[in-house]
Amino acid sequence: MATRTGADSLRELQIPPDGVIIKADDLWKTYDMGEAIQVHALSGVSFDIDRGEYVAIMGPSGSGKSTLMNLLGCLDTPTRGNYWLNGHLVSELSDDELAYIRNKEIGFVFQTFNLLARASALHNVELPLIYSGMPARERLEKAEESLRKVDLAERMHHKPNELSGGQRQRVAIARALVNNPSIMLADEPTGNLDSATGEEIMGVFGRLHEAGHTILLVTHEHDIAAHAHRIIHVRDGRIERDERIG
Amino acid sequence: MLIASSTFATAASNETKESARRNSKVENRRARFEFPVSSFEPLMASFDQTAAFPRTGAIQSATGAGAWVTIREAFWIAVEALRAHKLRTFLTLLGVVIATATLIVVMSLINGMNLYIADHIANLGANVFIVHRYQWAQGYEAWLKARRRNKPILIEEFEYLRDNLKDYRNIGAEAEIQNINTYARFQSHTVYFVDIAGVTPNMIDIGMQKVESGRYITQPDYDHESLVCFIGQDLVNSFFPNVDPLNKEVLVDGIPFRVVGVAEKIGSTFGESQDNFVQIPLTTYQKFFSPRPSLEVNVQAWDAEQMMRLEDQTRALLRARRHVPYREDDTFGINASDTIMQTWHQITGAVFGVTIGIVAVFMLVGGIVIMNIMLASVTERTHEIGIRKSLGARRRDILMQFVIEASVMAGIGGGMGLLAAVLVSELVNLIVGPGFFNASIPVSAILVGLVLSTGVGLFFGIYPASQAAKLDPIEALRTEN
Repeated sequence: MATRTGADSLRELQIPPDGVIIKADDLWKTYDMGEAIQVHALSGVSFDIDRGEYVAIMGPSGSGKSTLMNLLGCLDTPTRGNYWLNGHLVSELSDDELAYIRNKEIGFVFQTFNLLARASALHNVELPLIYSGMPARERLEKAEESLRKVDLAERMHHKPNELSGGQRQRVAIARALVNNPSIMLADEPTGNLDSATGEEIMGVFGRLHEAGHTILLVTHEHDIAAHAHRIIHVRDGRIERDERIG
Repeated sequence: MLIASSTFATAASNETKESARRNSKVENRRARFEFPVSSFEPLMASFDQTAAFPRTGAIQSATGAGAWVTIREAFWIAVEALRAHKLRTFLTLLGVVIATATLIVVMSLINGMNLYIADHIANLGANVFIVHRYQWAQGYEAWLKARRRNKPILIEEFEYLRDNLKDYRNIGAEAEIQNINTYARFQSHTVYFVDIAGVTPNMIDIGMQKVESGRYITQPDYDHESLVCFIGQDLVNSFFPNVDPLNKEVLVDGIPFRVVGVAEKIGSTFGESQDNFVQIPLTTYQKFFSPRPSLEVNVQAWDAEQMMRLEDQTRALLRARRHVPYREDDTFGINASDTIMQTWHQITGAVFGVTIGIVAVFMLVGGIVIMNIMLASVTERTHEIGIRKSLGARRRDILMQFVIEASVMAGIGGGMGLLAAVLVSELVNLIVGPGFFNASIPVSAILVGLVLSTGVGLFFGIYPASQAAKLDPIEALRTEN
């Protein structure tokens, strides 16, 4: 962990209050393109998300929403600014510490499912538990339980190529759920599905939200974003609008 | 990496109390998330978040036993990955297989030869050394030089040693005919290439020979230059298959000898029977075959420690008698079990050294092939690495995964090499036959082979694995295969 300087302890004072699970404070992501040309993918984004919220992040391609998603998912660190996730000041962490946070605090659901092709559904769901070092028996129980939550218990020994798109995405959701993350981060979760299956998946997210999970949805489709209770519009690396619906 | 993550774990556990306090509040808040009873009831129950955020437990499990879990996972990933590409794996491993097989075969051959030499050649008898014209089992060059310089051990020198050596247990002499066109005849049966040796009567106490029936050459036989002989089992089988050989008369190179004793069967060395011999008194030998024979003087000491002193004494006495100048080499050889084994080990050591060199080259090539295929494998599986990283795999987890895969792969190669070595040494034993030495694989060879091959995999796996571990998760996820 970074050594704590005076400035750091000042930041400590700003630890977000209990209900806030995500606090983004002036996040910048700048890429050096050589010869002193800098591209700002994000220029000063700030927002708070409370525990139990269902938030959609919307924006056209190139708006910086992918970059924001990577930062929120702890796959990347901001060039400038602070990001708290469930009390951890994530923006200061090293690679391995970020891996730890991804493992414990974040459940990813991707557009392309990102399941391991050679592993069964069950093993795919087990993966996060393996990297948190859980013993085999306990792991199996939890993975099965998680698959049961998405109604896939009877197909758990099938490999991804033996499952339909919707089923694959449900496996991915089960995998995201298995470590009881603080937030679920879904990146265009219906992008590769037909609209009926997409609705089914959105139904699963809806139920998860009702059960108290915090969900962050990244999408460019208004229909999908409409399922959320709050929409953050991103454009040109800035927050354009932050609206609450319903 | 280890240090970083453990400090992180401590830092995290400092936060535990804090988050526990927060959690209790969260639970109070969650009371608001009551949902109406619905058909989802069981599903909803499993979604219930009261059991969520078990943060204390989760942080504890990140240390200690966790490493073992990920290592086991890495092991199974490796086995799965190798099973998915059987032919590729086999071809990749060929270098390691050949290297391991070569190493183990050579070690087993040397081991077999060692046992054989110790058993058949260096087995001179208990605490016995032999003074002879040549030092045995030395290099060809040294032998050529010795052939020019060294002189035979003569009867006078034997007698001189017998009279001047102090406190030996026994001293005997033996002379063997050099001409190979020898024969022995009984009635119409003839045996060729018989070893004819003149001996002193006490040789039976010194050498490894034993009397099966009758007696050995005695002092009166020796003193009276009697025409008596002591024969080996090969002659008994040829001449007297159903008859008692004792007191029969045998022609040895045309001279009639009376059989007084039969030796126990010895067996063969390097495929040559050791039982095809006739022994007669040394005096008789001098009279009929060679008046001034080249002798093998057998000196027996009381114990191993005294043997060293006797060897030194013998050397000093003979050098003095032969006027060998100071600083010049002996003009005779003193042969003992340990010196024979020592020279033998020098020879096998050279062979082994060459083998090590060859094996090292094979292993290097094999290792580079493994590294190459692992680099390809990392590129192929970039997306998978991205997925694993997004799910919380740390650098060292990915590193471990690929290093273990390379090691398991090379270890399997080692195993196949071991199998090949077993087959080869069995084949050698089959061809050479049971009369010759047996190639036997020593446990040390198995261990060295397996450990070495696994180590090669580990070493050459490090670079590809570190390439994999370094991958940026975002880039890796974006890569499609």
